[in-house]
Amino acid sequence: MKKILLSSVLCTALVYGADVLPVEKRTFDQSKFIPDISLILDASYVDRNVKDDEVGHLELPGVAHGLLGSHSHGDDNHATYNAENGFNINYAELVLSSSVDPFFTMDGVFHFSENGVEIEELFFTSNALGYGTKIKGGKFNSNFGYLNEQHHHYWDFADMPLVYEAFLGMHGINEKGAQIQWTAPTPFYLMAGFEVLQGENEQMFGNETIGDVEDPIAAGKDGPTLYIGYIKASHDIGNTTLLGGLSYAQGKSRIDHSGDEENPHAFSGDAKLYGADFVVLHALDSYKSIKWQSEYLQRELDGTQYALDTDGTVLGSPSMLKEQSGLYSQLIYTHDKNWRMGARYDTILKNDVTKNGLDVEQHSGLDKYTAMVEYHTSEFARFRLQYSRDNAMFNEDGQREKIDTVILQANISIGAHAAHSF
Amino acid sequence: MKKLLTLLTLITFLPLTLLAHLNIAVSYPYIGALTKTIGGEHITTTVLAKGNWDPHFIIPRPSLITKVRNADALIMNGGQLEIGWLPPLINRAGNPKTSPSSATFLNLSHHVELINKPSEVDRKDGDIHPDGNPHFHLSPQNILFLAQTIKKFLISIDKEHYEVYEKNYADFSKMWNQKMNEWSQKMSDKKGLKVIQFHDNLAYFNKAYGLINIGTIEPLPGIPPSSRHTIETIELIKKENPCCILHDVYHSTKTADFISLKTGIKIVLMPHDLEALENIDDLGSLFDHLTSAIK
Repeated sequence: MKKILLSSVLCTALVYGADVLPVEKRTFDQSKFIPDISLILDASYVDRNVKDDEVGHLELPGVAHGLLGSHSHGDDNHATYNAENGFNINYAELVLSSSVDPFFTMDGVFHFSENGVEIEELFFTSNALGYGTKIKGGKFNSNFGYLNEQHHHYWDFADMPLVYEAFLGMHGINEKGAQIQWTAPTPFYLMAGFEVLQGENEQMFGNETIGDVEDPIAAGKDGPTLYIGYIKASHDIGNTTLLGGLSYAQGKSRIDHSGDEENPHAFSGDAKLYGADFVVLHALDSYKSIKWQSEYLQRELDGTQYALDTDGTVLGSPSMLKEQSGLYSQLIYTHDKNWRMGARYDTILKNDVTKNGLDVEQHSGLDKYTAMVEYHTSEFARFRLQYSRDNAMFNEDGQREKIDTVILQANISIGAHAAHSF
Repeated sequence: MKKLLTLLTLITFLPLTLLAHLNIAVSYPYIGALTKTIGGEHITTTVLAKGNWDPHFIIPRPSLITKVRNADALIMNGGQLEIGWLPPLINRAGNPKTSPSSATFLNLSHHVELINKPSEVDRKDGDIHPDGNPHFHLSPQNILFLAQTIKKFLISIDKEHYEVYEKNYADFSKMWNQKMNEWSQKMSDKKGLKVIQFHDNLAYFNKAYGLINIGTIEPLPGIPPSSRHTIETIELIKKENPCCILHDVYHSTKTADFISLKTGIKIVLMPHDLEALENIDDLGSLFDHLTSAIK
């Protein structure tokens, strides 16, 4: 009996509950304050001439290893984009953005992958200071160079330019910190920016203690330890826009591969990165354009290399100086709202490694060629077929492995996604 | 020495006094023309978009960031027409005067009634504008409302010169009312004519003069023409016998030419803004052209 009573009360409550007030009459309703929400899927089908088990062990000698495929160090399991032959879900990117109050806006970008969730970006910005000044705080993509600030889904190719990926890893300079930018009151575009960042890049910047805290291999330095400055200028000539920039980053470097199964090692020292970028966009009409985009990066890593055994005992600690540079140059033709195509040339120009003052012989001819064609069913869905020939990777025996990769990539977005800047 | 100092001070501050009038950034040329008409010599206008290109797709060039950065006020069309290009410019400009929450920011779409507001908002229906059709400036009556809105806005941010703005508006209003009579007479025999468009950007013009839009060359807003939809359009034209294809200046007329070849229908280029075609250099000539285009 009690049960019947209870269920009838519940039913009545449900019936009344179902009689929902219209939105505008709900006294405490806040649904109109929902931020802009968008979800972006990036998935791919990959056909690579190197087996998955091998590709993760390939390295760019003297520069980086573990660039391709999925690999693990320590407890961390990383998968790069387009890691496996066959089907890949690279990420689901959830973007939330809204004004906070009259003074601030906030943006959050979260990458959901099969390995978990990463805070890709989470920052507030303000224009309230005036005088062309914009401030930003939180975690964000640095405005170093041209490509670094852009999200993966906005790139013109499925993968990062070789020099970016080799020097900075697949997330580029993506850091916690603060940024101030100033646009000059000049008749042409002139912007200068400065960033103070924590400095935790896997491939280049770091400040953590390596080894045992009591008796460290390399003692850490509390952050922030990465400082970035840049200046950008732009000018229009008719329907052609020219944009150029110079960037500089300086920080501490800690590269910790002490947990690696083969050849565990670590590096501690100082890091400097120089960048120059140049973009030319010529618009032929509202929809047709040609864009030429090039960036040159040069870095200097100066410190000590630690060769370790699997227990973390230091076997040797030679001084190490790496002076490396590389560039990419790409040309993209946008035919109309449906079709785009492009090609990219990547190369490592300089790869000088000095150990205890002695040159270490490095391979030359580290380059990569990529071509792609895209079909957009609308502004919100893009399908891309990309082919690349990568001549920069070597196996553990020091043999060059030419990698041919075909990627069929789908990038689909739903919801309200803010427009991209130039 | 003192003289030199005075001279230096003069040189330093002279340009500032010369630039003391308001520099107003506007998204499209028609807004620039209206604002200049009402503001007269007390304002300068900086137009961000070009009049002969698709107003939905403006490249957010860095030079435009500088234009927004240096502006004292910003007037936009609204109704999501600028959604694809203006927000990143405002975000980067670092100028509180152009922030949408500021008193020096004007969204014109909040001051006119938008038509064709979709009852359901879903991207399966194409790249629709949830607030309704944003091409409201192509109704001459709306131009008058917009002029009045801009007058009120200028007075609100620059009370000192309100008499000038009132007078300029009164002059414009008088001239425009005469013109509107002229255009109504010119268009009186066009009432009820059926037309085809590429994209429904003449919705307000058609409504003002009783033209009936029966179809668009694009299958859905923002979706490029497909061969199936083109065949359907040809069938529609054969059945309904519309007078012409009213075509914008920025889309290719390739599909329209094909349809015209199959049906014999006329293609009439219709400018949507100043500079869209040669000799369209003010609002009067824009509507002069539009009302004479259909023969």
